[in-house]
Amino acid sequence: MLLGVGITFVAFCLTNIVPGDPAAANLGQRAIEDPAAVAAFRHHYGLDKPLPEQYGIYLWHIVHGDLGQSEQNHDAVTHDLGQFIPATAELALLSIFVAVVVGVGLGVIAAVRRNKLTDHVLRVVSLGGVSMPTFWIALVGLYVFFFRLNWLPGTGRLDPVVSPPPHLTGLFTVDALAAGQWSTFWNAFQHLVLPSLVLAASNIGLLTRYTRSAVLEVISNDYVRSARAKGMPGHTVILRHVLRAALPTVITVIGLAFANVMTGAVLVENIFSWPGIGQYAYRSATTLDLPAIMGVSLFVAVVYITVNFIVDVLYGVIDPRIRLA
Amino acid sequence: MTRRNRGSARLLALCLVVLVAAAVAATAATASRSHAAANDTLVVDKSFDLKTADPQRQFEPTGGIVDRALYDSLLQFKGADVAHPQPDAAASYTASKDARTYTFTLRHNVRFSDGTPLTSADVVFSFNRLVNLKGNPSFLLAGITTKAKCLYTVVMTSAKPNPAIPVLVANTSLGIVNSKLVKAHGGTDAVGADTADKAEGFLNSQSAGSGPYILKTYSTTTQVVLTANPKYWGPKPKFKNVVIRNVNAAAQLLDVQRGTNEISLDLSPDQAKGLKGVQVHGVPSANVWFLFANSNSKVSDVSSNPHIQNAIRYALDYSGYVRLAGSGAVHALGVVPSMFLGALPKSAAVKQNLAKAKAEVAASGLKSPKVSLEFPSDITSNGLSFGVMAQKVKSDLEAVGISVDLAGSPVATSLNTYRGGTEQLGLWYWGPDYPDPNDYLVFLPGETVGLRAGWAAGSYPALEALGKKAGSTSSPATRGAQFQQIQKMLNAKGPFYPLVQPGQVVAASKNLTSTTFNVLYWIDVAAVGAH
Repeated sequence: MLLGVGITFVAFCLTNIVPGDPAAANLGQRAIEDPAAVAAFRHHYGLDKPLPEQYGIYLWHIVHGDLGQSEQNHDAVTHDLGQFIPATAELALLSIFVAVVVGVGLGVIAAVRRNKLTDHVLRVVSLGGVSMPTFWIALVGLYVFFFRLNWLPGTGRLDPVVSPPPHLTGLFTVDALAAGQWSTFWNAFQHLVLPSLVLAASNIGLLTRYTRSAVLEVISNDYVRSARAKGMPGHTVILRHVLRAALPTVITVIGLAFANVMTGAVLVENIFSWPGIGQYAYRSATTLDLPAIMGVSLFVAVVYITVNFIVDVLYGVIDPRIRLA
Repeated sequence: MTRRNRGSARLLALCLVVLVAAAVAATAATASRSHAAANDTLVVDKSFDLKTADPQRQFEPTGGIVDRALYDSLLQFKGADVAHPQPDAAASYTASKDARTYTFTLRHNVRFSDGTPLTSADVVFSFNRLVNLKGNPSFLLAGITTKAKCLYTVVMTSAKPNPAIPVLVANTSLGIVNSKLVKAHGGTDAVGADTADKAEGFLNSQSAGSGPYILKTYSTTTQVVLTANPKYWGPKPKFKNVVIRNVNAAAQLLDVQRGTNEISLDLSPDQAKGLKGVQVHGVPSANVWFLFANSNSKVSDVSSNPHIQNAIRYALDYSGYVRLAGSGAVHALGVVPSMFLGALPKSAAVKQNLAKAKAEVAASGLKSPKVSLEFPSDITSNGLSFGVMAQKVKSDLEAVGISVDLAGSPVATSLNTYRGGTEQLGLWYWGPDYPDPNDYLVFLPGETVGLRAGWAAGSYPALEALGKKAGSTSSPATRGAQFQQIQKMLNAKGPFYPLVQPGQVVAASKNLTSTTFNVLYWIDVAAVGAH
């Protein structure tokens, strides 16, 4: 609760010390010269009130589930978030899933094959994933897989002629499946593949590197040697003994990966015209849409707090010593 | 193979399965991809600046494209022409000799998409709503009242002579809405509509117009889908559906080459150079890029010095800016764009004269004059970056002995200093609010842009008097000559330096026809055909 109020305060202060005028950013070149139009704009968005009063009103509205009205599209910010969050969630979930499966898998392989060719190759690959800018990977991905090879669709969540499935969760793949619209599901899934892989790239690199070092710390322990000496199959040793012990580190990095997804989404969603929270944040920032910026900040903060909470809980689930402590 | 190796091999296989699954999904998609766009759907790619589909609130290019298709206006422009308004909902109009009163006679057969006939009450409601919403386009009807003379006759009366009214009513913000329907959904045209009107949400969910299309789906970030209006009174559009998508320029470049029935509106001339299998139309845009030197001595003793202002005028390498802007660009000969009434002929162009510029610097009496040049550093227009143009200005002025500090900042910040009139040198562009030279009277002393350049009223009485006269003259020929004279005076002694009109590119699939760029509407989707 206190954390939440603190976040709103910091976000409110930061958005208000930006040297720009929301009226100038949102009104046209003629309207800004019209005192009546400027006054109407300021009054409508409460900008004509003192800052402490604006903040108080904002908090009061939050308590009532109202995040204000967007200055750019005049919709309620809660409505906008409800519209954009599912798009980002769909992208983020697939991206994290791919990153975890591929990144952890490659990390284990690199550790098991330490200092062999496979390890060297994976080190280069993971370094590439971490160091290549997301926007560059996105543009190259679009050029190669959409334009050159025509394997994957270009931008958007669906082809222009495909209608979205009936709204249930806002996740098009899930909603299409629920409605039994197989062709829509397939189309939505195809559109998901490229942006989610691009978004996963840096996380794959990150997870590969951290998993490798975490597994290496565990793999030389006596109990691992004992398990092998008893004749336990190699993959069982890795999965049951090594990976489980390495999981706290891996889960911490997965929490960081969520942060990467949030920041990467701003670029990836813009390049792929993906109507998610990243694109909304970008537009809000460039038009000084204060209510929307505050709404996005709160949402991101809530995601971080939730992810950290889940990570903390998982520590206890994985390692009973932490739970007991 | 050892057990350890077998374990890692299985893990490797698991990782590969995920990647291969994606690749297989992708490969399988190839066949359907080439048929993605149906024959009855036109796809228009535009980098969105969309805020609303409510015609009386919207004043951005994307909103204009949408509302042009959804709403009829009294008059309209066809093709690329923006000088000769044509009938639309009004079959004809007459103007009084003093250019104060315009009488429009409406067609009797125009119906809204719900079947309601369009009458003068709808026009009056729409125009009053525009004024009383106090929004971005409200200034268009400042000082103009609209009244219904009878069921199919509308009279517009201007407090001052206003020969631009026929052009103004062709603006998409003056699209005519179904007054009964909009009122039923919270709309009002009364004084106080800026707080009382609640119809925007409705107009963003469904249209209330009589245009060739109706609104199917609307999003300010993704796409707007239009579908043909079955009750449209005019010629049926070729495409049953139109999808206007929010796509950045880099992706548009790929889309237009890969897609069918596709139009791209944001490519820069440089991007368009390499296009293959696509028709490309490059025309000068109506955006006039200009430099100004602030005439207010409190802002800068350097920029306000008349000799320095002259030095800048002759130091600039005008042809260099045209080269920088790429193909399709032209030298902006004056502040009025080349396609509007009153545009200057090529013979009136200001030419670079370095000797004269250096002599003016010497005559200024200033030793090592130094100014800062402010510009928006984070935006481009027609693919042209302000940063690149600012570098060229710096280079040109330093060649004649004027030092320039580049002071770019994000547009949200730089707009404040520009509109506050505190920039010493400013690099900006003016996009037309409506295609009439009256829109450019803002560059005169005491007017909107004049004040931004520190040019107070009374600074140039002869020019100001001519501006007043030109703004109210009804004869197009006389007005044209007056505006040319205004620009010659501006070019000789004013603090403004028109630089360039960049190229505007429309790239379209080869099968499409009538993809003409219009400076007011950008693209008229109802007019686009195919073969």
